[in-house]
Amino acid sequence: MSLALGTAARPRLSAGAMEALAGWALMLPATIAFLAMLLLPTLATVLLAFTDYELGAAAPAWIGLANFADMLTDRGLRTSARNTLAYVGIVAPASVLGGLGLALLVEAGARGRAFFRAVFFLPVVSLSVAMASAWQYLLHPTIGPLNAELRALGLPTPFWLSSSDTVLLSLAAIGIWENIGFTMVLFMAGLTAIPRELYAAAAVDGARGAWDRFRLVTWPLLGPTTLFVVVISLVRALRVFDTVAVLTQGGPNKASEVLLWTMYQEGFTYLRLGYSAAITLVFLVVVLALMALQTRVLDRRVHYG
Amino acid sequence: MPFALSRRAALALPAALAVPVVRAQAPVTITVHYAQPFIFKESYDAIAEAFAKREPNIRIEWLTTPNYEEGMQLILRQAATNQLPDLSYQGFNRLRLFAERGIAQDLLPLLRAEGDPAALGYTPGILALAHFGGFQSGLAYAASNPITYYNADLVRRAGGDPDAMPTDWAGHIRLAARIKALGDGNEGMFFRWSGDDWMFSALLFGHGGRMLTKDERDIAFAGREGLESLRLIDAMVKQGGMANLSTQAAQQAFAAGKLGLFYWTTAVVRGTIQQVGSNFALRTGPMPVIDAAKGRLPTGGAAGMLTARDPAKRDAAWKFLRFSTSAEGTALMVQNTGYVPMNQIAIDDPRFLGAFYRDNPLYTAAVRQVPISIPWYAFPGANSVRVTQTMVDNIARVVEQRATPDQVLPDMAAEVRRLLPRRA
Repeated sequence: MSLALGTAARPRLSAGAMEALAGWALMLPATIAFLAMLLLPTLATVLLAFTDYELGAAAPAWIGLANFADMLTDRGLRTSARNTLAYVGIVAPASVLGGLGLALLVEAGARGRAFFRAVFFLPVVSLSVAMASAWQYLLHPTIGPLNAELRALGLPTPFWLSSSDTVLLSLAAIGIWENIGFTMVLFMAGLTAIPRELYAAAAVDGARGAWDRFRLVTWPLLGPTTLFVVVISLVRALRVFDTVAVLTQGGPNKASEVLLWTMYQEGFTYLRLGYSAAITLVFLVVVLALMALQTRVLDRRVHYG
Repeated sequence: MPFALSRRAALALPAALAVPVVRAQAPVTITVHYAQPFIFKESYDAIAEAFAKREPNIRIEWLTTPNYEEGMQLILRQAATNQLPDLSYQGFNRLRLFAERGIAQDLLPLLRAEGDPAALGYTPGILALAHFGGFQSGLAYAASNPITYYNADLVRRAGGDPDAMPTDWAGHIRLAARIKALGDGNEGMFFRWSGDDWMFSALLFGHGGRMLTKDERDIAFAGREGLESLRLIDAMVKQGGMANLSTQAAQQAFAAGKLGLFYWTTAVVRGTIQQVGSNFALRTGPMPVIDAAKGRLPTGGAAGMLTARDPAKRDAAWKFLRFSTSAEGTALMVQNTGYVPMNQIAIDDPRFLGAFYRDNPLYTAAVRQVPISIPWYAFPGANSVRVTQTMVDNIARVVEQRATPDQVLPDMAAEVRRLLPRRA
């Protein structure tokens, strides 16, 4: 019966249509997942951003751009944006340059390449919440090893995570530690893709020493990798949340308040989901713009196809 | 006569049989939510076990959240999707929000149906702890108040007497300065001002002050009591050498024997005993007294609020709530947490907790402060949680010595005033 149906149906579809159908069928699970888990929630967030919805309150009302107008005058949000910029300004360049340096060092080393790669990559695969607890102990003002060392040397012992002078720097240091292994691995992949002959050719053309080799061959050929690493580092730094939530909760007095933490506070502590959605939307636009801008503007200058 | 009796008995028989048939309801399953299982799980398990013996037909499904905040989010989310649990234990200061958003139900009629509340152990003071939004929105389950934890070894080394601690802040601050002077990374004191406004209200209420005016139209903390409270925090930093620690860092330093005096809730007494182990001689005591006559302390803790709509479930959930706050349930709660009993019978009748307190003196500091404990003030309106954060942020300026109490108080007053509901 089913066989008969199958043979009866077949002639009606051409081979090309069958292939297209199979393609769609294979894509279906991923498409459903993308729609249900990403696209629809994002659209819902976009809609919420234009309402005054509060968790547990009456039905939301459409308030147009009022949430965005609020954001312009919100002092807490301004602090949060400034802190986030400062954090990104420290973490992104440091992890790009640091990762490049590490990659060059590890690549140049004759032995232990796998070992060092694993050591520096470990923070990337470890759970950042668990690692935050370890950092909390390391940076503990009275019983932490770091301050014990400083005390033994007769140096001042800052309250790393609870003073508004040092809290952002401490968080940034943890951020660099988390990101540097990732950028290192990306750069190492980029380095192995550079053809050896180019170094030989450079030597023939009179390039002397490591600096010349780096300046004339390595750096230009790492262009596409560098672009990718810069963008991904910016986005990763912009996304800082775990360490803030575990270690400082935005304190003291908003000194470590960052965008995602503000968004979380507004939505889930103060229950203003509409406003929180508006912040999320702005965040999303910034991230997308960053990626689009970087790729567009820099793509032409770094492409060596 | 014998005939009449037997005939009456014969008539009564079906009725007598029918009564248990009618009263033994079909099995009911209720969902009960509570927060902070690391503090409360053992107490609820013990109570549920005793409850199951009385009400074998009521089954309980548990729902827990790591903290009160997520507990609040859960209930608000479930309310939006009509999937509320039947009973939820929430932090005292969140109850007002549920009362104002129409999620909590009035429990007084249910309580009255069982007789005089006071005779059941629910005195007016105990009922007041969970009276929000103008009605009895919950029943207090576990209560805490702030106490002093101290390291008797450090106190002794600094020349103090652990058996005769100073009773006022001036004495405590001097002692803290001497402990800090021992050096070697020792810290004198930590007053847990961060996180929420609870400990600040301990100072404010200690001066006899209050957060808002009686009609809740304006702030009332911007006067002398509020200023003196901020000055006390300033003195803790300036004279007591109080370091700017996070709560966790302070707890860790205390457990490691590097912090002399630590002021926080009695709720962590059990956890602190476990953390400290045999590192040093741990003691607890009352909070330093500010105003012996007018001074009060805030009450923290949890209250059960009824959220069931279905009559059978509502009835069963009420039975569990009643049992968990009865003298018997309260006694189980106390022995399995660090909280203070919330049923007057359990407090007064030594049969319930007398032996426990004799064997566990560290738990008694908070009990002795019950007579001066008043409800944790919850701010009205949609911004209640934000008000709390605003106060904490401003206190941070004093702790970090970025501003003087005289500068901070007006800022704090203005910022909080903006967040109060506007009324005609």
